[in-house]
Amino acid sequence: MEKKLTLGRRFLLSRATSVLVVLVLILLLFSLFSPEHRFVDPDNLKVLLSLGAEFSIIALGVGMLMICGEFDLSIGSILVFCSFVFLKLFELEVNPFIIAVVTVFVGGALGLVNGLITVRGQIPSFVTTLGTMMFWRGLTLLLSGGEQTACDVSALGTKAASRFLALFTGRAGGFLPAQFLWFTLFAILLGILLHYHRFGNWVYATGDNRDAARAMGINTDWVKTACFIIVGVLCGVVACAQIGRLACFTSRTGEGWELKAVAASVVGGTSLRGGIGSMMGIFLGAIVISVIENGLVVLRIPYFWTYVFFGLVVLFSVLSSMYIEKKQMEAHR
Amino acid sequence: MERENNDFLVRMVNIHKWFGRVYALRGVDFEVRRGETVGLIGDNGAGKSTLIKILSGYHHADQGEIYFEGQRVSIRSPRDARGLGIETVYQEQALAPNLSISRNIFMGREPLRRLGLIDKKVMDEESMQALANLGLKLRSPDVPVVTLSGGERQGVAIARALHFKAKLVILDEPTVALSVKEVEEVLEFIRQLQREKVSVIFITHNLYHAFDIAERFVVMARGKKMADVKKEDTSPQGLSDLVLKSAFVAE
Repeated sequence: MEKKLTLGRRFLLSRATSVLVVLVLILLLFSLFSPEHRFVDPDNLKVLLSLGAEFSIIALGVGMLMICGEFDLSIGSILVFCSFVFLKLFELEVNPFIIAVVTVFVGGALGLVNGLITVRGQIPSFVTTLGTMMFWRGLTLLLSGGEQTACDVSALGTKAASRFLALFTGRAGGFLPAQFLWFTLFAILLGILLHYHRFGNWVYATGDNRDAARAMGINTDWVKTACFIIVGVLCGVVACAQIGRLACFTSRTGEGWELKAVAASVVGGTSLRGGIGSMMGIFLGAIVISVIENGLVVLRIPYFWTYVFFGLVVLFSVLSSMYIEKKQMEAHR
Repeated sequence: MERENNDFLVRMVNIHKWFGRVYALRGVDFEVRRGETVGLIGDNGAGKSTLIKILSGYHHADQGEIYFEGQRVSIRSPRDARGLGIETVYQEQALAPNLSISRNIFMGREPLRRLGLIDKKVMDEESMQALANLGLKLRSPDVPVVTLSGGERQGVAIARALHFKAKLVILDEPTVALSVKEVEEVLEFIRQLQREKVSVIFITHNLYHAFDIAERFVVMARGKKMADVKKEDTSPQGLSDLVLKSAFVAE
């Protein structure tokens, strides 16, 4: 006899819920234990929401890519190369909006390169993007000499420059950072694409069973390439936002983001084998990672502890999502 | 000649296939009539799967011709095969386990509203209808396929083929790893295909399952067609002898 799923049970058994529980727990922890509750101080929340959002925007794309069964280790390198393109155009005093379009376009193109090498060469994307990670980072270091260079858009003094900065670094209502709004916007758009659009069905099918997807006439190579392009485009957007915020180019930007993005996706319930995951989960997972990074700083815990904490959260998430999966199976039986 | 052609839904003529230096198919002729169920049997490595993969667009023949409904066709991809009305129900290859039943049935052919958004209501209703037509009662179209039994999964794949008006359904080992009860269930699904005048190619190791359901049997060994017999001219024991003998002759 079938077991009826009550609303409460269904809520508890949804993957996004377990991430939400983790998120609430660490939020409580940081709020209570940070000296003078500095974690919930508006100034810190602003920093958290703007800085964390930069990484989180890219993590959304990485999560979707993982659902279709691929990895991208090159996000940090695409980001830094995009930033470098931005810098060079900035030095030519091009209109910042044109720079932004070109930067995003370059990001998409580098994503396309990852996709084409992976599907045409039939190489695991782990290897493809390991190669491009080194290549684009190396090329950027080579071309930039590895130096920090000022890239202050506001110095242009034009109307376009101030609009550009408002778009990428402004604060809605004097508080909500533009970066966080971008993050939310992308999460909603990608969520609709993934869960309500037919492309999303192809992404899941490709990651879940590529042979079946192909047999059903889905061009899985195209689907994967499109997901790589989405990640690249997001890197381009973040390059613009980051340079707007920092007012300088640094050749080390984005280092270590690749594994953090994978961690965010896994914490959000995405399967490493593809086919399983949700945009809500990835969204929350990215926030969890950003909150941990910020919270530990506020708690004055040495930075080196960050990865210890990441590790614990990743392991806890994987174990709990496996438990949930088991319970779900039993509930369906 | 043309008249006779019209009887055939599909006719493969003198098909050759090499994989590197392996000569996998050595001039095979194979045909299926409209509404006919053919059992394709033979030992591992006999070339059954290769032959069928050429028909379903996974491989391309190095030599030979394929006629579908009397027309010469070139099947270059699974998509081409589907366009003709050829559906393949591969064991473990037909469904995405973590996707819901309805998303599986409409995979690649999602009913749409505006802007490419999926019309979930239509998708769910038609999925339940397609399953009901096959006599399969499942609780909800939202359940992931992985939670279904082996027999039910085959049912979902067959319901999909029926729903999209397939003319030829290729079943590759559909009864492998199923319980006795589930096998009977799957054979009943195939009978439903027969009632709807869909042609079926049934690939199996299990001669008894094949004998139960097929009208004609093609025995392959070592890349060649060794025998082509009607059901009334043989028996399960006869088929078994044929498979054994073919394997030795082909050596």
